[in-house]
Amino acid sequence: MAEKKQKQAKPSGKKTLAKMYKYRGFYLMFLPVFVFAVIFFYAPMLGIRYAFTNYNGIREPSFVAFKNFQQMFSMQNFWTAFWNTVQISIIKLLLTTFAAVVVAILLNEIANLLFKKVVQTIIYLPHFMSWVVTASIFSLILSPSSSGLVNTFLVKLGIIDSSSMIYFLGTTKWWRFAYYLINIWKETGWQTVIFMATLAGINTDLYEAAAIDGAGRWGKMWYITFPQLRNTILTVIILNLAKVMNLFESAFVLQNDATLSVSNVLETYIYYQSFNSGSIPNYGYTTAVGLFKSLVGCVLVLVCNQWSKKVREGRGIV
Amino acid sequence: MKTKKKISVFQIVNGIVFVLVAFLILIPMWKVIVDSFDLRTAYGMKLWPEAFGLDGYKNIFSNPTMFRPLVISFITTIAGTFVALTLSTLGAYVLIQWDMPGRNFFANMLLFTMIFNGGMIPTYLVLRGLHLTNTLGVVILFPALNVYNLVLMRNFFEGIPASLFESATLDGCSPMQTFIRIVLPMSKAALASIGLMFAVTYWNDYTHYKLYITDSKWYNFQMKLRGMVMGSDLPPTAGSNATENTVRNAAIIVVIIPFMILYPFLQKYFVKGVNIGAVKE
Repeated sequence: MAEKKQKQAKPSGKKTLAKMYKYRGFYLMFLPVFVFAVIFFYAPMLGIRYAFTNYNGIREPSFVAFKNFQQMFSMQNFWTAFWNTVQISIIKLLLTTFAAVVVAILLNEIANLLFKKVVQTIIYLPHFMSWVVTASIFSLILSPSSSGLVNTFLVKLGIIDSSSMIYFLGTTKWWRFAYYLINIWKETGWQTVIFMATLAGINTDLYEAAAIDGAGRWGKMWYITFPQLRNTILTVIILNLAKVMNLFESAFVLQNDATLSVSNVLETYIYYQSFNSGSIPNYGYTTAVGLFKSLVGCVLVLVCNQWSKKVREGRGIV
Repeated sequence: MKTKKKISVFQIVNGIVFVLVAFLILIPMWKVIVDSFDLRTAYGMKLWPEAFGLDGYKNIFSNPTMFRPLVISFITTIAGTFVALTLSTLGAYVLIQWDMPGRNFFANMLLFTMIFNGGMIPTYLVLRGLHLTNTLGVVILFPALNVYNLVLMRNFFEGIPASLFESATLDGCSPMQTFIRIVLPMSKAALASIGLMFAVTYWNDYTHYKLYITDSKWYNFQMKLRGMVMGSDLPPTAGSNATENTVRNAAIIVVIIPFMILYPFLQKYFVKGVNIGAVKE
């Protein structure tokens, strides 16, 4: 997505005007996009000023300088949400990427094209389900009752008995484990698409050369397939690392009050503080938390962009 | 890759692994399908309904509180996809006018929003100030400008030969005419891919409703489903043979079925969509 084809001609004012006249139709065509960007992206940026005020949405905001930030950094719940965001997003990213690479490499070895196609169709499917549907399916399946598939299965196997069924999504001990498994179920398949595309592009000469050198199936995978995938893996990780702070919906629909200590992330923390706190909200405080989140996210994007330019021959991510 | 004629042990084991993987993906969905047809209170492990009946579905389609959210899902998906495609194509077309004064400003203006944003609360306050909250306008318009998809579209437009634009201009076409007569017809594949991505996003939207819509009159089916599964918003099951659990499961199926039917035919467009953007080598 790098913007590198810029024309550097800097013509004189009159020429520019003539050119702008020539392109007048295009300005008109860009107008809707411009209006949307201003209203939905730039107008909210002006609202960042609330971070330095006390504001409940009704009365005029009153300026309090950095008080909201002081309050934020002294709140235990804020730090819990911050570290939860970092841990959950990064572990989730590494797990699904690892699973996707393994699945893609093995899928690539399947010789029967029809079977391969059927498997691909099935494993892509969960990606297109909404998080609400996913959460609904799994809260029914993981429920600690006789209708919960997983718990009845564990009872049948004799691992647990029917009086001590596990409430996977309702206890702090199991929540993260369940969350990661659900993410692997939902996203691994779709993530293989990009790895499969890379694998399809590997020059078959490489494999023949390796075969001549005496490499077996595992040797070829280790010395050719995997190194060829390395750049794509890095790309996927960099692109997603930039989005680490945005985690919201998946955590929101799977968490409940009992698991907040391990499942509350910054966006859900902002949501509860603003809309569900039970008292009059201080939008100033939650805007401050949001600003902190955006700034950390912004730094991450810029770091990832530099990193991306290094490993992807100059191509940044924005 | 070269394959040996003889089927090796590895091939067999690998095949079995993927049969298991496919089952692991399908079992949760199969369980929901089975329970949606089962009129008896569901028991955890079974592969087939014990007391088969369609009452769960009848309950949904005969119940106005269920039907309305379903219609809203359809309306917002169709309207939203249309608005979103309009914005993406117009924006992308302007971004390939490399010689246009201000082109880089417009590009940077859009790209900056991918790095930094006002955040959840200022956005909420702006939308509330514009009286967009609690209207369908917010859930149709707000997600419509997606810079990532706009850039994908631009990447696609870049592949259209410049000579076509030039000859159209020489023939006296205005930019808008060139856009409608040349650019759009040549971009059917990209329009399908990106349009489908938008359609899925709109159909699956929950976050924007949760944030900006508090009046249950404007809920889409995802919101409705959420309320049902959390137990607070169940339709009356009295006078029907369906248990609450049956209706819950049936509701999940109703919300995924339109996509499930179309999916096998559309899969290639989704895969193409990923490859327009990510693997440009």
